[in-house]
Amino acid sequence: MTDERTIRIDPVTRLEGHGSLTIKLGPNNEVKDVQFNVSSTRFFEKFLEGRPMEEAVRIAPRICGICPIPHHLASVKTVEDAWDVTPPPAAIKLRRLLIEAKQLSSHAIHFYALAAPDFVFGPFADPAVRNVAAVLKHLPGVATQAIKLMEFGQELCKTVGAKAIHPTTAIPGGMMSPITEEQRDHWLSKTDEMFENIQKTVDLAKTVVNDYLDVITKVAVTPTYYLGLANDGELDIYDGLIRVMDPEGEIVEEFEPRNYDEYYGEHVSDHSYATHIYYKAAGYPEGIWRANSLARCNVADKMATPMAQEALEEMRELVGRPSHHTFAYHYARVIEMVQAAEWIKKLLEDPEIVSEDVKLADVEANAGEGVGVVEAPRGTLLHNYVCNDEGIIEKANLIVATNNNIAGIEKSLMDAAKLIFEDEGHKGLELPDPMVET
Amino acid sequence: MPDKVSVAMGQGSSCWGCFQSLVDIHMNLADVLPQLDIKFWAAVADFKHEHLEEYPDGSIDIGLYEGMARTEEDVHLLKVMRDKCKTLISFGSCSTFGGIPGMANFSDIEECYDVKFRNNKTVKGGEVPTENLPPITDVVKPNKDYVDFDIYLPGCPPTSDLILKALTALLKGEDIELPPHTVCHYCDREKEDTPIPEVLRPYQGKADPDRCLLEQGYICLGSATWGLCEGQCVNKGAPCRGCFGPPPPIHDDQGAAGISMLGSYAPIEPEEILEQVKDPLGTFWRFSYPTSHLGSMRIKREEANDQ
Repeated sequence: MTDERTIRIDPVTRLEGHGSLTIKLGPNNEVKDVQFNVSSTRFFEKFLEGRPMEEAVRIAPRICGICPIPHHLASVKTVEDAWDVTPPPAAIKLRRLLIEAKQLSSHAIHFYALAAPDFVFGPFADPAVRNVAAVLKHLPGVATQAIKLMEFGQELCKTVGAKAIHPTTAIPGGMMSPITEEQRDHWLSKTDEMFENIQKTVDLAKTVVNDYLDVITKVAVTPTYYLGLANDGELDIYDGLIRVMDPEGEIVEEFEPRNYDEYYGEHVSDHSYATHIYYKAAGYPEGIWRANSLARCNVADKMATPMAQEALEEMRELVGRPSHHTFAYHYARVIEMVQAAEWIKKLLEDPEIVSEDVKLADVEANAGEGVGVVEAPRGTLLHNYVCNDEGIIEKANLIVATNNNIAGIEKSLMDAAKLIFEDEGHKGLELPDPMVET
Repeated sequence: MPDKVSVAMGQGSSCWGCFQSLVDIHMNLADVLPQLDIKFWAAVADFKHEHLEEYPDGSIDIGLYEGMARTEEDVHLLKVMRDKCKTLISFGSCSTFGGIPGMANFSDIEECYDVKFRNNKTVKGGEVPTENLPPITDVVKPNKDYVDFDIYLPGCPPTSDLILKALTALLKGEDIELPPHTVCHYCDREKEDTPIPEVLRPYQGKADPDRCLLEQGYICLGSATWGLCEGQCVNKGAPCRGCFGPPPPIHDDQGAAGISMLGSYAPIEPEEILEQVKDPLGTFWRFSYPTSHLGSMRIKREEANDQ
């Protein structure tokens, strides 16, 4: 019999935000509570008040250095919704190119730099080696394909967005400048190599999934609701309707982003500066939902591109639909990388991508309210601004991607903690030998 | 082979964009990473705060601190980084000037809490969370008010080229030489020194791609901003918003310089220009409010309230 104790993990590492973990154990290692403590906040919703709407488009990306492009685009869509503006088709294609390029690089950095060290060196390796620098040292080929994919995505973002991190070219009514034919040709010439690296990533992911199948199917298998955009049922990260799937796999809602407050609940936790977003009709905590790659793959009927669809079918054969396997997020991320790669090629091959007709000249500010939604790598991202007749923001509400996952993360951590502390289930897990012995 | 250089990467309250920009040196990582002995970098390696605290003072060669200090934990980490690192670098504009999140100082902290936790479209009646969380500071103070830095590397984010140049010099033990020019130096647009008839918002009309944006009436802070960005936005049609802060000496008042430049180009009556420039504070002091004259008065007011 053991006494009550508290385990603190501070900070949670290999994530790009701020968080710590608190696990409270009772007698006999009974798990009493698991908290994911998100330990900072910066008050964007407050200081967007008083700013001109079009400037929010340049301020909001600073919420996240990994996903500034989804914020840039969710923000510009919000303003266009409020002012009833439809940008030229070429501008929308450039924006889609931007967000698909970001999806590619973000998923690459997540898979290779944040997640892979665990799988390459095994979960019990020394912290000094269980990181991306060691991947570079021991598996230079793998590191090179990772860096090449990140480079492709980030540099393409720079071509379209002026900056890969905190882009500046989207503006209510379109884009500040087009891309040139030379730029288009340059990126088209790079797509073959990019697809080779995508194929290698898919192969590596399949190896990891097969090696760790016991972990994937036993640790943190956590039924929740799921949230994600779908465009005519297809997985889409730039546009569509918001879908909610219940834990049994039924699509229980499909709605216009404008009506989000009928469906979104926001719970203020006593132990996290990040609020917990949930499905309002089911209440809290029953209605906890998760977003991000696996959620999108769950709610969508199918992928939008052929190679990605093939990969999704393979995943569904292995883990089903819906998949509640928290570790399957990595697999879903790779499937989405395939779709992003296919979208990029399709867009670059579209003659309209170099059109110079990318910005309206007659946009006018007016009083109104707008909602803009895109899928950020970490999930459905929603901006909502109310402005006065000069287009100055009076109220802002931001439901950022990760907030959709905070409660779900806690829930899956609770499942993992029970498995480890109460059942000692981790001892019986079948683990492969590390790819690299350290 | 020379010994590795030990490094610690600290993150205050920020977006991680500066570190993403470091990662974006791409294949150069293959040269740089093997030279580093990573002692602390939460997003990359699994060392905890206690590991950092246990290193002897002054035992780490280089520290980079990203972000401003919004919580007591951020302030603590900043001070620990100062104690442990021989050379401490202020990494990015949040760390150097307060940055975008420094705009929270436009309001009182209770007003910030209202919108975040108590009353917004999807939130009603919540309380400020406290359990297992570091308290939030009442006001964003510049990091340089808490600790001394050896090097400032501003930018939102600093470009990957700039980071590579700085890291390469540091790893060789050389000084970092940075050109002092403003953004205008790198801007391909032509200046004709013509007055501005009217201030325009960036969505209005279509700008001539070959002419100075400011002269066309679009507010552009290029002339008041350090050009370490090499003009990436202005050359893609987007007016400068000042994300690298003022040119050296870098703690001059960027906002005052920007307004003065607009004033000298726009022979417009004061009442009219006030009407046309919609958000002076959030436009001219977007990245540097906490280190500006106005912003320091705001911080002093908070300090007076506390006494």
